[in-house]
Amino acid sequence: MRFLIISFCFVLVSCGSYSKKYELQSEPVVTKSIENKYFDSKVTDYVYKSNITVYGNNFGGLLIVKKLAENNHRMAFTTEFGNKIFDFSFVDDDFKINFILEDLNKKMLINILQEDFSTLIKSNLPVTAAFKKDNFNVLKSESTKTDLYYYFLNSDLSKIEKVKHQKAKTIFLFSEIKNNIAQQIEIVHQSIKLHIKLNALNQ
Amino acid sequence: MSSLVGAQQKMTNTEAETLKALVKNRASKTKTIVSDFTQYKHLDFLSNDIVTQGKLHFKSPDFVKWAYVKPFQYSVIFKNKTLFINNEGSKSEVDVGSSKMFTELNNLIVKSVKGDMFDDVQFAITYFNIEEGSLVQFEPKDPKLNEFIKSFHIVFSEKGDVETIKMIEPSGDYTKIEFTNRVLNSTISNAIFNN
Repeated sequence: MRFLIISFCFVLVSCGSYSKKYELQSEPVVTKSIENKYFDSKVTDYVYKSNITVYGNNFGGLLIVKKLAENNHRMAFTTEFGNKIFDFSFVDDDFKINFILEDLNKKMLINILQEDFSTLIKSNLPVTAAFKKDNFNVLKSESTKTDLYYYFLNSDLSKIEKVKHQKAKTIFLFSEIKNNIAQQIEIVHQSIKLHIKLNALNQ
Repeated sequence: MSSLVGAQQKMTNTEAETLKALVKNRASKTKTIVSDFTQYKHLDFLSNDIVTQGKLHFKSPDFVKWAYVKPFQYSVIFKNKTLFINNEGSKSEVDVGSSKMFTELNNLIVKSVKGDMFDDVQFAITYFNIEEGSLVQFEPKDPKLNEFIKSFHIVFSEKGDVETIKMIEPSGDYTKIEFTNRVLNSTISNAIFNN
């Protein structure tokens, strides 16, 4: 019982602490859904030169994304030389592995990739709260496991923070926006040493 | 079926033997190669192939450098069975994602230059006459390699030079490399192969 009370207090204390911690000022919700325009065109082949640093190991390749239909993205990662490392499909909330190199076919790694990349491409998420922070308009979307905070500067999405237990777990940074394409994207994990850097390839 | 596609006709055994001898002879006289290359990465779900360009250096017996210059700077050097990578200035010696496949392909290219890739133990090989010269299809027999490469297609010019290499994945997606502006047996300093 005592434990329950302590837990309950903890939940109460921790609730809203992300927005308090980062001094987000609550605003009325006027926008119904969150738009992420960076992977939203069906006519664009999105190709990014990528550098992945994981626990000090550095490797690179090309991240290739195509929107095939609403809520339907295909994503492949190849070496610069063209060899396919993985090939995933994201359809609605389903995730399918079309191909992955046997050496990388590890559940934990796949879960991380799935989580990161589905957040990267998702759009039209329902807004559950709105805030203001400096010049940013911040929109929050909640799911069962995590909360997502979208930071917009003017109308450009410049950051997504994926929050678990009121702490930022993964940060997505978008910069040099041109024609609805983020020329630079960084995915920075806070709890594991994984850093993904993407630079748009302008062919 | 494939012998009917696009004026490609299966070679007779004699023709295949002649091609092998031509390539082998050509290779034995090739000490260095400098060539431009254009790479097309074809993924069925994309609207356009991803095009990258660069320069290949080869020096006998087994120094190879692939240097991509457009649209990014990236080079891979094969030397003394080691892979040296220069990724836009950041240098490393191992590439966990690609080393095995890259090594296999590189072996094949080095072998094709030397004229000894016609290895019936490793590959099921089929020979075709085509308009531009000859097409040889290599299907790896090693199930490990087969997992990511269904077939290598190499087009040889009438002189016996490698014109294009196509690596076809089990899904049908492929990588095609075209060689242009080839210069044989010029002097290449070993320093080219330093990372």
